[in-house]
Amino acid sequence: MQSAAAPTSAPSRQKPIPRRFLWGWLWALPVLLALGLAWFSIMRPVQVLPRITLAPGYALTDQNGRLLTSETMRGKIVLYSFAYAQCGATCAPTADLLRALQARLPELGAEVPIEFVTIAIDEATPEELAALAQTRGADTAVWHFASADANRLKWVVGGGFGLYFAPGPDGTYLLDQGYMLVDGAGILRAEYLRAVPDIELVMRDLRLLLQEAQHSEGPARYAYEAAHLFACYPR
Amino acid sequence: MMHIDRSERVFFIASAVLLVVFALAIGISGFVYGIQVPQPFAKVNPVTIADPEKSDFPTFALPAAERIRELAPGRYEVYVLAQMWKFSPGSVNYGEPSIKIPAGSQVTFYFTSRDVQHGLKIVSADGGRHTNVNMMILPGEISRLTATFDEPGTYHMICHEYCGAAHQTMYGVLEVVNQ
Repeated sequence: MQSAAAPTSAPSRQKPIPRRFLWGWLWALPVLLALGLAWFSIMRPVQVLPRITLAPGYALTDQNGRLLTSETMRGKIVLYSFAYAQCGATCAPTADLLRALQARLPELGAEVPIEFVTIAIDEATPEELAALAQTRGADTAVWHFASADANRLKWVVGGGFGLYFAPGPDGTYLLDQGYMLVDGAGILRAEYLRAVPDIELVMRDLRLLLQEAQHSEGPARYAYEAAHLFACYPR
Repeated sequence: MMHIDRSERVFFIASAVLLVVFALAIGISGFVYGIQVPQPFAKVNPVTIADPEKSDFPTFALPAAERIRELAPGRYEVYVLAQMWKFSPGSVNYGEPSIKIPAGSQVTFYFTSRDVQHGLKIVSADGGRHTNVNMMILPGEISRLTATFDEPGTYHMICHEYCGAAHQTMYGVLEVVNQ
């Protein structure tokens, strides 16, 4: 009788998973979560540039006499620089940097357009802007030159981008050196102040902005938002 | 299985719950309210910061009065050097010029220290009006903060980090004047 009963009772011998065992693993979840967050913020597998502030809105006149506005540049990654007609040797390093960047843009294989805007702080006319573009060797398809009247320039450059400038002697200007990188949403993402930035630094920042723009939809965007949250900025 | 006392178990549970709550708080503040961790504006050499030839932030090497600059109508920036025991510009008790701005102006402050750690809080001289300017000033780092001063009057910049024997005398004057 004992041998006949054995097969029927076999399934009931399987031990249920102890509840204590399950609870033990449940305790591990917050620990794993905390470890995961620590790993993410220390190792920075996803890196982003900080969202510094909204870039200023503007309406300027470009080298062709056409209106160039912040809305025209919406959807594009834009590197802003500042100059004046007689800045000569002072602005030469800036011109060299932008020319070199212009030549290296194809390397990035950008899905989002990358353009440059040089704002002339000396109320330059379209003809003067065109001459400035020519002397800088600018490809005006991607490198725009723009200016406006003194009052508007003060609001855009001083009030908006926060760069101090004032007229100096002999048609020169006292101008704080600065370059501003703005993303397609019109948010200031990098400021290069007081010195001409290294071209590799700017290329790295452009790559980061492009990667973020390419992952701005779908589940990957949450990883980028988390990178902003945990300040995963490049070192 | 190891015996855990009931009160200890409750403590463990409360700790874990707190962990989760804090993680959620960080997530909500970041994703919902967009709060980001503040970063130093720039790093500089505190030894040469005021040297016109060697400063890696030359604006700090300008004379005190020239470090109060109008960016645009109603927009100013002020570069303040903190050192034992004065703010430059600001500390009138040490012969520094006061900072004068028109009422309604938005002012971006850049602060750095030449020596030790200082602090800064800006309040009205009578203590009745507070501002959002409240920060640490560290040697080698530049702190940046923007504030709007709508109410005319005299404001004091007060060092609130102990910085040596005369720490209590370290304050600066900011005058918000009617246009």
